[in-house]
Order: sequence, then C-alpha cells, then structure tokens
Amino acid sequence: MRITRPRLPAICAYLALSCLFATAWFTNPATPHSSFALMSPVLAVAGQVAQPIYTSRFASSGLVDFVHSSAVTALPDGSLMTVWFAGSREGAADVQVRAARFDAGTGEWGAEQVLATRASTQQGTQRFIRKLGNPVVALAPDNRLWLFYVSVSMGGWAGSAVNVMVSDDFGRNWSTPRQLITSPFLNISTLVRSAPVFHADGSIGLPVYHEFLGKFAEYLYLSADGDVIDKFRISHGNNSLQPTVVPLDGQRGIALLRYAGNTHHRVLATRTEDAGQTWSEPYPLDPSNPNSSLAAVATPEHGLLVALNDLQDGRFKLSLYGTDAQMDDWYSVGDLDKSPDPLGGPFSPEAFKEIMGNEFRGSSGSLRQPLEAQFLSNLDTRVCTARGCEFEYEYPYFIRSPDGMYHLVYSWNNTFIKHVTFNDAWLAERLR
Amino acid sequence: MINLWQAHLSFAMLLFLLLPAFGLPRLARIAVLGALLAVSFLPVGGLSLAAHMRSYIDDLALTTLVFMAWGCLRRLNILTPAPKDKTWVMVIFAILALVLYPATLGLSELDPYRFGYSPRPMLIVFGLLTLGLFYLRNWLGVVMLAVATLAFLLNIKPSQNYWDYLVDPLLGLYCCFALLLHALRRIGTRLMTARNNTSRSA
Repeated sequence: MRITRPRLPAICAYLALSCLFATAWFTNPATPHSSFALMSPVLAVAGQVAQPIYTSRFASSGLVDFVHSSAVTALPDGSLMTVWFAGSREGAADVQVRAARFDAGTGEWGAEQVLATRASTQQGTQRFIRKLGNPVVALAPDNRLWLFYVSVSMGGWAGSAVNVMVSDDFGRNWSTPRQLITSPFLNISTLVRSAPVFHADGSIGLPVYHEFLGKFAEYLYLSADGDVIDKFRISHGNNSLQPTVVPLDGQRGIALLRYAGNTHHRVLATRTEDAGQTWSEPYPLDPSNPNSSLAAVATPEHGLLVALNDLQDGRFKLSLYGTDAQMDDWYSVGDLDKSPDPLGGPFSPEAFKEIMGNEFRGSSGSLRQPLEAQFLSNLDTRVCTARGCEFEYEYPYFIRSPDGMYHLVYSWNNTFIKHVTFNDAWLAERLR
Repeated sequence: MINLWQAHLSFAMLLFLLLPAFGLPRLARIAVLGALLAVSFLPVGGLSLAAHMRSYIDDLALTTLVFMAWGCLRRLNILTPAPKDKTWVMVIFAILALVLYPATLGLSELDPYRFGYSPRPMLIVFGLLTLGLFYLRNWLGVVMLAVATLAFLLNIKPSQNYWDYLVDPLLGLYCCFALLLHALRRIGTRLMTARNNTSRSA
C-alpha cells in the first residue's frame, strides 16, 4: 500500500475545520449554575404584636368567560399583579391571557386588562397559534416583570410551547411575545403552570412539564435575559406534572408534583441539594391528589404551606396544609373553599344558585359585590351540566410578598379568580 | 428576522425538492425555485406561507438547509451525484435522531438534549467526526457539520442548544425512512437474485 502525503489545500482545510471546532469549544464553556436567591420578608417590629389578617376578594371581574389557571406576583409598591386565562371554554380559540392589578391603598383589584391573545402571539412569534393556555407571572430581582404562557400551534396540550413577554415598567408596557426553544422535537410538549424561581445571579428557574410521550417535570434554567441556557429533569415516566418548586436555602429545595398516574393518587415530592440541578426520585406524601394542580410556599419556620385538593377524586374542596421541611408531619390549617356536600355531589340549579349567592357575598370583596345579581343570572349556563351543578376550587398559586403576607389565587368555580391574603399571625391563630 | 429567512428558504427548497422536475431545462427549474421563494412570502391569515409551514415543522437545523441546498443543486445538475456521501450522511443523522428524540421526549431517564447547552464534549465528538468525514472525502457530511457549527458559533438561531443546529425531526425522519427503504430494496434485490439462481440451477 502506498501512503500519500496530504496536499497543502487539504492541510489548510484540516486546519480550518480544527480552528472552527476549537473556537466553538472555547466560546462555549459549561453553563455556570447559581444558588437560589432567597427573599427575606420584612419581619414584625420587636415588641409589636401583629394582628391576624385574612381577607378574600375576586381578582377577575368578567361575568361571561371561563376563567382558569391564575398566577400572582408582588410589585415593589406593595401592589400585586395577577394573570389568568379566560375565554368561552378551556382550549377555545378566543382564550386570552388577562391581568388585573391590586391596589394596596384601596385593597381592591382593578379592571381586567388583556395581555396576550392568539393574534398578538401569532404576530409576535410569527407562527400560527391555535390556542393559549396557562400563564405565570413573576417579578425578577432586577425589577423586570416576566410573563410566561402556553400556546399551541397543532394538536392538544401535548403540542404546547412556552412564550415569554417581559415588562420593564411593572406591567404597563410589554415586549412582543417570543417563543422559548425548550425541546428539539418541533419545540413542542412544554407547559408552565407554577411559580418561577430566581437564582442569585438573576437567572430564572422555570418549572415546566411535558405531556407528549411522557408526563414528567423539568426545571428550565434561563439567563437573566430569558434565554434557555440549561434544563434539568425533576421527574421521569408518565405520572407527574406541574412541579411547584420551593427553595429552602441557597442549595436545598423541594418540588411538589401533581400526580397524574393511576396507582396511589397522592402528592409527589422530590428534593434538590444543588439548587435544582439534580432531583431525588419522587415519592408519595400523605395528602391525596386527584390529578390536580397544587401550590406551596416556604414559611419562616422552614416549613411549607401547601394549597391543594386533598381528595381522591374531584376538585370540590381546596385546603391549606402546613408541614415541616421533611414533610413528615402534616397539619390542616383549614379549608379555603368547599362544596356544602362532603362528597362533592351535584346540586340542582336552584339550590346551587342560592349557595353560590352566599359564597359570592363571602368571597367577592366590596368592589365586586354589585355584580352579584348579574353573576347569578347566567350561572346555570356557565357552570351546570346535565349532571347538575358542581363546585370546583382548583389551580392554586401561592406567593409570599416582601411584606411577609401570603397571597393565594385560584379558580373559583371557573367563574372568578379568587385572591386570599393572610399573614403569619392568622396562621399562628389557626394553629393555636 | 433570520428565522424567517430560514423559513422562506426552507419553504422554497422543500417544495422544489418535493415537486417533480417535469423534464424542465435548468434555467426553467431555477425560475421555479425563485417562484417558490416568492410564493413563500404570500400572506394567508396574517402570516406568510413560510411562517405557516414553520408553525408545524419548526425552524429547521442548519444541516437540513445544507442538505436541501445540496439536493437542489443536484436537481439543477450543478452538482454531480455522490450516492456514498449521501448514504453515510443519512446513517449519521438517523442515529442522531434515534438517540435524541425518544430520550428527550421522556422514554429515557437520560436527557441527551441537555448536553447541547454545555456542548464541549459534543464539539469534540463532532469535530473528530467532521475531520473523519473530510479524510473519507465525504464533502456533504463535512459541509453540513461545519456550517451547523459555524452557525452555532455565530448564534444565528434563537436557540442556545447545539443540537438545534445539528438535527431536526424532518431530517431525522427522512434519513430513517430513506435508509429503511434502501435496506428493503437491497434485501428485495438479493432475494430476487437468490430466486433466479435457484431456478437456474433447478
């Protein structure tokens, strides 16, 4: 065999290719991973006894649409912003992402505002959009307000992608939506539902989940500018969705997961010891989970407060639980809302309307009180089916604002987004 | 904006490759390609046709654009056929697709897509593969991988993941099906030859 020496052009080509890959190697070091950023809520002044506070009111004000999947964030002036989706039904083409702002001065929610529609998303992303879904909102440590929301171009929710909008002026103006690239397979099968987590360097941890071939959770790691720079599996397989991630300190955190399997119907939990990079094998906890969304926040005593439907089936009762960081001991703080029927059975339209009238007056807040008659007038067509009228309290979203208040928003019979506020003094009183 | 240019190029080249040649001369085929590029800008329901196609097939990988460009140049008789180049390229991208997609979509505990965010090990592997293909004079493979890496270096896609420059489902599926068809054809030919030999000896 004769060995031929490579010619000069070939040597140059070898060198050029080597330089190309070497340059790419040098300019793409491993993504650094920052610890969780921990928020320190303002503590009560020593010697001053805080009064228990528990209030509720409706954040949404529309009386026609199906409303669902709310999220809330605290703004620096003490106000809040909540977002949700609303339309003729879940998955309809007319679904919009809407928002409302809570005025800390008046203690009431303002008018609804449309943040994203199918058309605006289509225009921004330059992709055909069939429908919109779950939104989440969060204020970053650099005071940029982030909105992430689901859209679908083809198929059902398994074909979802995540869109992002950002505001530099606390939600007055928003950037045009763009789509995050989260999956190599047609960029589908990624959904958001629970609160983003911020890291010490400003990077964003976005809990997401997949619903295409498997049902599993992931932790997307975004740069402070909202580009996906890494991702980590939280769970595997076909039975866990909608992770709610709670940092305990800079490195340790817990994710609670909606159980989507057919075996034990219990909330799943998994832990991280490296700020979200690796997660332990998910395991079932004491509370039940009827394949429904849940939400959790950390308490000053290093425990968790969890809002969930502690039921084997149905979503007719939304409860608040406390637990320690090990999640061994669970105690009930109370039920936030529940059907008068302990088994969640249906009611006749007449009986339902009467109960809902009372519930409305107890939940709406003073600004929404005048809407009662109009709300009750079309209730049967909005909520009732051939089976009857059933109660549904679901999809909680939990935050603790910098002033130490707890804020919980959830779907109230898919007719309103309800906002519940309480403080540590109220919690202490409940547990006495 | 670069995404949309990619979408328009993808639209024009994909349709050009799918359409029969109709025995047209080279200049006429170049005109067809140009017409398809113009058609890709036609608005339907507020979006261009290219944007509609992009909604379903996503932004294609740079390797696919090179592969389609190579196909178009062959269709225009500007490049001569190089069947061995193509077979090895298809083998490489079929393997990549089979490794990447099932695992990323949840059928494995390992997520290979993650490696694309910190791609130094991948760059070593694909660098060596490109040099190997160059040694074997597989120009198509070399150009596909080099252009994809150059585009990644220049960050021309909205993705920070090297995989998104290397492979997409369209290329992966095409390679898998084409190889399957190729294998079936070869098996069929061998069976026919064996049958002919048997009948001749009988």
